[in-house]
Amino acid sequence: MRKFLMAGALGLLLPAMASAGEYNITVDRVMIDTGDFVKEGIGYNGASPGPVLRFKEGEIATINVTNNLDEMTSIHWHGLILPYDQDGVPGISFPGIKPGETFTYEFPIVQSGTYWFHSHSGFQEPDGAFGSIVIEPEGREPFRYDREYVIQLTDKHSHSGDRIMRNLKMMPDYYNRQQQTVGEFFSDASANGLMSTIQDRMAWGDMRMMKADVEDLQGFTGMINGMGPEQNWTGLFEPGERIRLRFINSSAVTYFDVRIPGLDMTVVQSDGNNVQPVTVDEFRIGVAETYDVIVRPKDAQAYTIFAESMGRSGYARATLAPEEGMESTVPEMREPARLTMADMGSMPGMDHGSMDMSGSPEMSGMDHSTMQGMDHSGMAGMDQGSMATSQEVPSDPFYAKGSGLVPTAANGGKFLSYADLKAQNPLYEDREPTREIELRLTGNMERYSWSINGVKYEDADPIRLKYGERVRFKFVNTTMMTHPMHLHGMWSILDVGAGEWNPVKHTVSVQPGTTVYMETEVDAPGQWAFHCHLSYHAAAGMFRKVIVEGGPDSTQAKADVAIEEGGDA
Amino acid sequence: MNVSKFIVAAAAMSITATTFAAGSHGSGHGSTTIGEPGKAGDASRTIQVDMRDNYYEPEAIEVTRGETVRFVIENKGNLVHEFNIGTPDMHAAHQDEMKMMVNHGVIQGGKLNEDMMSMDMGNGHSMKHDDPNSVLLEPGQKKEIVWTFSTATNMEFACNIPGHYQSGMYGDVNFDSVADTQASAH
Repeated sequence: MRKFLMAGALGLLLPAMASAGEYNITVDRVMIDTGDFVKEGIGYNGASPGPVLRFKEGEIATINVTNNLDEMTSIHWHGLILPYDQDGVPGISFPGIKPGETFTYEFPIVQSGTYWFHSHSGFQEPDGAFGSIVIEPEGREPFRYDREYVIQLTDKHSHSGDRIMRNLKMMPDYYNRQQQTVGEFFSDASANGLMSTIQDRMAWGDMRMMKADVEDLQGFTGMINGMGPEQNWTGLFEPGERIRLRFINSSAVTYFDVRIPGLDMTVVQSDGNNVQPVTVDEFRIGVAETYDVIVRPKDAQAYTIFAESMGRSGYARATLAPEEGMESTVPEMREPARLTMADMGSMPGMDHGSMDMSGSPEMSGMDHSTMQGMDHSGMAGMDQGSMATSQEVPSDPFYAKGSGLVPTAANGGKFLSYADLKAQNPLYEDREPTREIELRLTGNMERYSWSINGVKYEDADPIRLKYGERVRFKFVNTTMMTHPMHLHGMWSILDVGAGEWNPVKHTVSVQPGTTVYMETEVDAPGQWAFHCHLSYHAAAGMFRKVIVEGGPDSTQAKADVAIEEGGDA
Repeated sequence: MNVSKFIVAAAAMSITATTFAAGSHGSGHGSTTIGEPGKAGDASRTIQVDMRDNYYEPEAIEVTRGETVRFVIENKGNLVHEFNIGTPDMHAAHQDEMKMMVNHGVIQGGKLNEDMMSMDMGNGHSMKHDDPNSVLLEPGQKKEIVWTFSTATNMEFACNIPGHYQSGMYGDVNFDSVADTQASAH
């Protein structure tokens, strides 16, 4: 409870500071207690996670960051639209912050919503160097709530990030049971025939393929706001109140499936941008994504916030309750998802013709996403029975057809899909993209090397964009892992087939065996990072520098435009 | 919308009420406390209600028992919205129906599919949205409701399009107790 009280005390100080928009942040070695183990990590202002930074749209943020470590550090403001030299990526935005130095970030706040910040140096972020950002809009929120909580998730491992990376490099299955490589699969297939190999691998699947590939890393403790499941972070409410929960996934590598048994959750925002509200029973939050939901507990009882990892190797847990100390039952974790052939749909060298073909056009699902989205939501409502019986395998246009990863709600209800996300108030005019750039997400799991178009960051040329163009990015995931792709500095307009209503995000998950499109209005000059947000994938090379050439005549003009756009949101 | 149209709508309501109004009127007006459609001529005043994405302006209104109010409702947002007078329970029941309308493509973001609304769904039911206590408006549309409030009860005006009520698109109907005593029984 100590951390909780501290957060409360910080909260009391905030109103005084908010008008100035100024913060002092120290980067410190801290002790992190998960309830399962205590480890040394990195935090801000003496704690991990660091503080909730509150800003108001339209003000100037001034943040003085003092590095108390004996190594370089940096802070990246994840999802914030700002001048590139304030973006906090060493080697791209600035050189970094040396030990003992104070670096002052200063930039206008041109947006509102839920965001977060984290170190972009080494593995400081998985070691605990992150916090949250809450920006109040200039106008009113397009929804109502009586109170709000940040729910910041992480996957805390007892090993340091450096050690995990070393182990993964040496032995990619270090944190998993034995994993099978695709190469072996095909050599077996040619020797023994495809079907018997599949049967064999499926039989072995639990131990060898599936777990290894759904998650890089097992053996972590899921945490919410710095507390493990036993420490049980608790948010208070009065029955009947609407509560806004700002979910942030600050994990190194873990996707979480989130639910609150007994409560519907109305999703109102994703990645800081308001979406047309959609009520769900459960949602999957990718690494680095945020989802804001509104819940309305009517009864004076405790409710469990339960977030189990996608691979079911761990969970985070917290409680909403009318009083401290109350708690509700904690569900058992469900069976882990099983990768199917569909999830390997576009693996390189995979030459099983018809399967591949049936996968490709469907997996983007763009043409049908609207309809599929509706059918899907129908499952939660009227047509529950018929849908469930007529279709054994759940479907979601953002997963490969027949994928074993498609999530389903624990209570049989509605599970959020990307296809459900529609912008509440589109940020940009819809227009034809000026060109398309294909990015194949590639990897060699045997050597734990991750790349884009088969080329690692250190060997790659930057992606050059022209100021003023609208680029359509085509992500083709050729690996068996999900990659949360994060473009800095400019918005990612995710193509869910909703045209002008396509949602605006900063992080886009690309599932195995799928192709996903996003469009970017190139409206921010400078150079930016673009990478998979799984810490160890980014470090291994699934990373690019983006250079935006050209730009408006003066930076002042740009700031004005940006503020105008923000005001509309 | 004129008065005669309202009377027609009120009469038609009995047909669709079973499927669509879901108890928003109860059986006859004796058992309900939300009031009943009023005559424009009896309206003591006009309240302008603007629909935005996704909230109302204003978010609370004051009425007196027995008062007849003319509501002028205008959709100033970019999405379809509803204005529905009822109790929280009535809204909860109506939300299931609205979900069906969305699932069937009757409501698509900023568009209402009028043809589909009048389609026969079987059993003589349609997805018409013609209850006298509510209007469903596309962006830019403007309609009126004349409503006579009866007894003081826990009432809200609400948009029951999926997610809208849940995220806060509702307003309180507050009965002014002081004025209540002065109001003549209707």
